[in-house]
Amino acid sequence: MEEKNRNLNLIIRTSMMDSKQHPASYRDPAGFIFEFENKFYRQVNQLYAAQYEFFKTSGLYDLLLKEKKILAHTEIDKNFTDTATWYKTLLPEQLGFISYPYEWCFGQWKDAALLTLNILKISIEHQMILKDATPFNIQFTGNKPVFIDTLSFEKYDASKPWVAYRQFIECFIAPLLLAKYTAPDFLKIFQLYPDGIPLAALTKLLPFKSRFNLNVLLHIFLPTAISTQKKSTVNKNILFTKKQLLNIIHNLELFVRSIKLTPHTTSWNNYYQETVLSNAYVAEKKSIIKEWMQQLPIETVLDLGTNTGLFAEMTAAEGKFTIAVDGDIACIDKLYKASSEKKIRNLLALSADITNPSPAIGWNNSERTALLQRIKTDLCMALALVHHLSISKHIEFDQMAATFSDLSTWLIIEFVPKTDEKVLLLLKDREDIFLNYNEASFIDSFQKKFILLKRQVLENTGRVLFLMKRK
Amino acid sequence: MKYFFLYVDPGSGSYLVQVIIAAILGGVFYIKGIWIKIKLLFGRKKQEPQPDNPDEHDG
Repeated sequence: MEEKNRNLNLIIRTSMMDSKQHPASYRDPAGFIFEFENKFYRQVNQLYAAQYEFFKTSGLYDLLLKEKKILAHTEIDKNFTDTATWYKTLLPEQLGFISYPYEWCFGQWKDAALLTLNILKISIEHQMILKDATPFNIQFTGNKPVFIDTLSFEKYDASKPWVAYRQFIECFIAPLLLAKYTAPDFLKIFQLYPDGIPLAALTKLLPFKSRFNLNVLLHIFLPTAISTQKKSTVNKNILFTKKQLLNIIHNLELFVRSIKLTPHTTSWNNYYQETVLSNAYVAEKKSIIKEWMQQLPIETVLDLGTNTGLFAEMTAAEGKFTIAVDGDIACIDKLYKASSEKKIRNLLALSADITNPSPAIGWNNSERTALLQRIKTDLCMALALVHHLSISKHIEFDQMAATFSDLSTWLIIEFVPKTDEKVLLLLKDREDIFLNYNEASFIDSFQKKFILLKRQVLENTGRVLFLMKRK
Repeated sequence: MKYFFLYVDPGSGSYLVQVIIAAILGGVFYIKGIWIKIKLLFGRKKQEPQPDNPDEHDG
């Protein structure tokens, strides 16, 4: 019996050793994320025990959960990590895919900012406050933002301002303002400044006209002026009231809502409206893809070069969790809004350029992983994409086949022949150096990595759809 | 980039800013309150005074 116990202990101890702390979860002494047997857990440390219990007993967690604003978790009374600081283990609802803020469109940034402020307000009603305000605390489950950091809450001291105010300005307001006053692509500046865009840099990037906005003046230029003058003469004992804080939060909410993109047309977001053969072409393509995918054992879909997401919406409507990716942030913004309005919940629209995907960043290059490492799905769709990769970006068919075969088991890919009007447009005003750009070479390359299962020529356009399975 | 920022506690560094912003928002609200009273005095009862509402001053 004793020996049996000893063996059991040994098994438990060995499995404890297998838990691996998440490389991005080291900043907060309150706890950390770790991976154990392919599941992500959150450890609450003793240091945070009182705050955590207050978070749970005050009703704050239950309310946020009821309103679907926070990720659900179950408590597990087991010390997987074998650490002395352990208080409790939480098993959060597991997310199928992690996106990073520099992959979000304008609408997603705005919703993430508003969710943060809303949670802050609800927390204050429960005598708690957010101790940090970073977009890394938010994930999108489909097209809804959800707060994931259970340990961000601490007891509210009504005589103090918000400790994370500046972080909120630098992490949320700054990217939104740059998107508004420069270009939506500037949201990706967050990849360069994952701790927030320093106000000193922001004030140099914003145009002069931005100073005529009272909120920009109050929250951006005023703090910059004060920081430059006062240096380190900071008085921690300044008295503050709850009403004053609520006024600021309310003002920030209105500020976020007031930041809007100036309407503009990109080269892509009118693609389908402009094409003469659009209706027949899209309908035919949709029916073929639908028929093919219904026969596949798939749960997740990746739509590369999704444009405004016609086909991604279809796969999502078929019940498949779909990640729709496009390099044009305006298209993704449109898709994000449209899918929210249509209440398509299992569609995640992301702005990323497949020819320049987000890299691994942070300490040891391991805090935030590269996009192509994260984005593995059962089916990948590359529709009307090949000619852009080939002719605009000079990517060889061999390279495409290798990359696509890393992403998914199944591939639905469209070949656009050289005689196609869009290809002719790409070749206009340039020398045709793409001698290998033909269906035979395309098939040749893809057959190295895939088994070709189906081939279907689309009527009217001469474009060809393929269904393939990874070898 | 002002490097002395790096040596100031980022939280308390923003305390003073928040005190000033709160004061400004309070002031704007105060003026708005007076303005509403003046409008009421001249019989323009289009809108009720809305205490505790600094919103309409967003630029």
